[in-house]
Amino acid sequence: MSKENIKTNQEYKYGFETKIDSFKAPKGLSEDTIKFISKIKKEPKWLLEWRLKAFSRLNKLKEPNWQKPKYPKINYQDLYYYSSPKSMKDKPKSLDEVDPKLLETYKKLGIPLNEQKKLSGVAVDAVFDSVSVATTFKDELTKKGIIFCSISEAIQKHPDLVKKYLGSVIPLTDHYFATLNSAVFTDGSFVYIPPNVRCPMELSTYFRINASETGQFERTLIIADKGSYVSYLEGCTAPMRDENQLHAANVELVALDDAEIKYSTVQNWYPGDENGVGGIYNFVTKRGACRGKNSKISWTQVETGSAITWKYPSCILQGDNSVGEFYSIAITNNHQKADTGTKMIHLGKNTKSKIISKGISAGKADNTYRGLVDIGKKAQNSRNYTQCDSLLMGNKCGAHTIPYIKNKNSTSTVEHEATTSKINEEQLFYCNQRGLDQEEAVSLIVNGFCKEVLQQLPMEFAVEAQKLVGISLEGSVG
Amino acid sequence: MLQIKNLKASINKKNILKGLDISINPGELHAIMGPNGSGKSTLANVLSGKSGYEISGEIKYKGKDLSELKVDERAQNGIFLAFQYPTEIPGVNTNNFLRTSLNKVRKARGEKALDALSFLKLMKEKASELGIEEKMLSRQLNVGFSGGEKKKNEILQMKILNPNLVVLDETDSGLDIDALKIIADGVNSFRDKANSFLVITHYQRLLDYIKPDFVHVLSDGKIIKSGSIELAKELEKTGYKNII
Amino acid sequence: MIQNFQIKNSVIDQIKEISLEEKKFRLKNLDVFNNEGFPNNKNEEWKFTNIDKIIKTNFKKLILKKDINELKKFDLITNFEHNYIILVNGRLKSFNLDFEEKNEVNISTFKNNNFDFKKNNTLINLNNALYNEGFSIKVNDNYKMKKSIIIYNFFTKELKENMINIKNKVILGKNSELHLIEYNINNSKEKFFNNTYESVFLDKHAVYKTISINENRSEGFFHKFSSNTLLSNTNYTAYIFPAGLKFNKVDLEFNLEGENIDCSLQSASFLKKDEHQEIRTKINHLFPNCKSYQKVKNVLSLNSKGVFQGKIFVKDKAQKTNAYQLGKAMLLNDESEFNSKPELEIYADDVKCTHGSTSGSLDENAIYYLMTRGLNRKESTSLLIDAFLNEIISTIKSKSIKEFIKLKFEKQIYGH
Repeated sequence: MSKENIKTNQEYKYGFETKIDSFKAPKGLSEDTIKFISKIKKEPKWLLEWRLKAFSRLNKLKEPNWQKPKYPKINYQDLYYYSSPKSMKDKPKSLDEVDPKLLETYKKLGIPLNEQKKLSGVAVDAVFDSVSVATTFKDELTKKGIIFCSISEAIQKHPDLVKKYLGSVIPLTDHYFATLNSAVFTDGSFVYIPPNVRCPMELSTYFRINASETGQFERTLIIADKGSYVSYLEGCTAPMRDENQLHAANVELVALDDAEIKYSTVQNWYPGDENGVGGIYNFVTKRGACRGKNSKISWTQVETGSAITWKYPSCILQGDNSVGEFYSIAITNNHQKADTGTKMIHLGKNTKSKIISKGISAGKADNTYRGLVDIGKKAQNSRNYTQCDSLLMGNKCGAHTIPYIKNKNSTSTVEHEATTSKINEEQLFYCNQRGLDQEEAVSLIVNGFCKEVLQQLPMEFAVEAQKLVGISLEGSVG
Repeated sequence: MLQIKNLKASINKKNILKGLDISINPGELHAIMGPNGSGKSTLANVLSGKSGYEISGEIKYKGKDLSELKVDERAQNGIFLAFQYPTEIPGVNTNNFLRTSLNKVRKARGEKALDALSFLKLMKEKASELGIEEKMLSRQLNVGFSGGEKKKNEILQMKILNPNLVVLDETDSGLDIDALKIIADGVNSFRDKANSFLVITHYQRLLDYIKPDFVHVLSDGKIIKSGSIELAKELEKTGYKNII
Repeated sequence: MIQNFQIKNSVIDQIKEISLEEKKFRLKNLDVFNNEGFPNNKNEEWKFTNIDKIIKTNFKKLILKKDINELKKFDLITNFEHNYIILVNGRLKSFNLDFEEKNEVNISTFKNNNFDFKKNNTLINLNNALYNEGFSIKVNDNYKMKKSIIIYNFFTKELKENMINIKNKVILGKNSELHLIEYNINNSKEKFFNNTYESVFLDKHAVYKTISINENRSEGFFHKFSSNTLLSNTNYTAYIFPAGLKFNKVDLEFNLEGENIDCSLQSASFLKKDEHQEIRTKINHLFPNCKSYQKVKNVLSLNSKGVFQGKIFVKDKAQKTNAYQLGKAMLLNDESEFNSKPELEIYADDVKCTHGSTSGSLDENAIYYLMTRGLNRKESTSLLIDAFLNEIISTIKSKSIKEFIKLKFEKQIYGH
């Protein structure tokens, strides 16, 4: 591969900006902003009150600062909390009415939305800044009784479901960023799988931040009713900008008796340039409740983007025999920072959890695994297995492992293992001797290192994720 | 094919090769024998370009100086090292690895990349020649392979990559007689007028199956005696002590 | 007397013969303690041990009592020959170095000459404010001690609501060697609080081996902070058998200030009813080619709580570090609890750092197996517990000391 070739590959290929007129709420965080958002979305009164309650709580909360990656103070009054392409103001009834510029944007991102070209086997909800642009395969899903739409639409059409579950996993009064989201969330996806239905295709949301000086606060709510199954995937990208942009999403999952939710993330927000200028602050709250017996929630994440990633997708294992899983790859290069992991809260009997975390740190980056395994007094015969492996490339980066382990039940077992090492020289030599250059060898070995996590991803995305792993580390060795 | 003149190599300031000369013509198979610590594996590593060695002297391959070429560039130019201890690489599928490797080498030779189907065909054919089960090829590279499987996998890679100069680093170590025969057959079937071999071994046993054109005795970083297959037989009888 | 756990400055005025500098130092530290109180679980280092709450539930007040000289006759350990130091309530009473050459080992009452003010653990501030002199040991360069030193650490009967603050110091000269056994004998039937600050310094090529064990069960609440500085090519081996106290937290920090250091720490304990015990370690790898090894094993019965917080820090230049850490716990009862936080903070790439933590119940399959061989359930359980903990004890090199420790350890478990 020539030098030039490497250079182009290293560039963030989703860094373009779509020139489009947008309609924004006035800058700043206030009751008025919240009322503005609620009004424009024609929300019911209870939801506005809910938002305002969150806002008043927010004023009493302090921004947390215990995390490893520190960041400059965010001026919350200097942000836009709502930004929508003008053409989306009057909701298009069908794809034909959607602004071609928007369709073009998603096509460039590899997510064609129009009927002829849409991805086979994957239904997509496309979120652009603060609004959902389109949702594909809606009819097919409706036939099975599956609801897959933007949360704004769900609030209008399925208010009972939303009212029942919204905030039931991440309460209104949670930590700072979750509460901020409750006050100002703009859009996001809503999924409901009826009892005993196995969702026939992957559901996917594709998030795109386009406008500048805008925070993205989406809210996702997924409910798997008794005996149902759904696999959901989110992807995210943003244009290259010198400013840092805030993304503070909330994702709530509810699995009832015998239901299973598989939630996968390929996070590729703009990471900033090689000097650490710009990039997204990805401060996300993801939590799933295994509410019913024999339920299962499985989180898989491939985190390669963002200037700072700070999130702990968690499982609350309430139902007896419920299962929580967390598979994670976090790659940080240049000046990127990640502080990520999970919480597994075992409350029910015979609950099981598994944590597989692979952290790779290169350049001047810092990568932290932070997790909690908590086996409650009543969680008889529960089990956790945790494995955290870290790879370091160079001695200007850091890899940290901070697990909190609590076991209050003598019939339960907790196992934790962690290793930190550098990429194995002998493996590199072997690959080189078979004709692979340094970058290819690293990509191959790192992909092998991440295999256990990658194979959890739906087929359609596994290949993409593998490439991403290689690209994220280009220029980090030799 | 390969000319080495006054090759010296040291690692961590310890001198290992102390002025080694050898010349291999196309089609020839040279065996290098020597006791433990004589520098056999160092020679294999230096030829493949492994980093960490201080090197002086001259290595010419196909008439060109090798010193400027990196490990992967040497491999792409047709130098193949069969490892004494093939490295385990967890999570990497053996099949995919081989295909990636082959296509790198083909690209360097100016050939088109093989598509998945043609590769599979080639691989199956070569694997069956060596009695390798297909199952093994879908496992992780060298992970959990028995000693024999690892060595067979090295020979399979040699046959698929089709190199010009093959260095076998104690490929016979740790093999039972059946595996040894299979591997020798694999090597013999690959011998022709164009390919050269450097076979590094401690024991004469391997040379009963792979007949060398020349035998060299390496001791304390230098070749102290060269000859025909008879030299190897003599060594077997009298041991290294009487020669060194 | 400490009312509401606030200490008056006049307490320090009463301490005789101290320099102005020392007085200032004590007052400054007292100020910090009075302002901030005991650490609570908002402090990461006290995450699983809310000492503030523990003290306040168990003590109405804490008294600083005058020096007590009373010491009844006692028998020296006869299992093996040894030197000894006798402490009463932490203060040096006498010592004996008959096995050693003269003037090579120096034991004296500790004198503080380090008035560096630091603020991170208010129990250290409390110690800095109120400490009495403990002991200091210095072994000369190139002197390898012939026999171990046993510290007979007596706590007297009438310690009800007493608070004892002690400072100790151990200094090993270049290429010297010392084996130290801390043997705590607690005669108090009432609750008391003992707060020790210890500093250990190993000069180049020194070898230090230390064991600590409690002779009997008591109502003591112990906290010990141990600050260890190790220079290049030193060898540090510690065995901690901390059980037998109502509350015990051992806080160990190590600074590996040179290359080729070998630092090993092992602990085994069987915690009985209501015992709360924590080991917290922080090992700072600051130079290349050092090795650290930690293994902590806990068996937890009846409402006991065990905590192991271990942190391995590797600085960017500390290449070729090899750090290992394992915490294992066996929970015998639903009212017991094990918490751990094995932490890695690593900035060097050519390292091998591994940690693990497991907690769970007795292996029912193993019990079943033993029962099919004719043991009853109780015997099977004991056998498994012994095997679990013996893994630590069996690595003690000296045979006579190992036998002695085994005896004491069995007494801790079975009370005979």
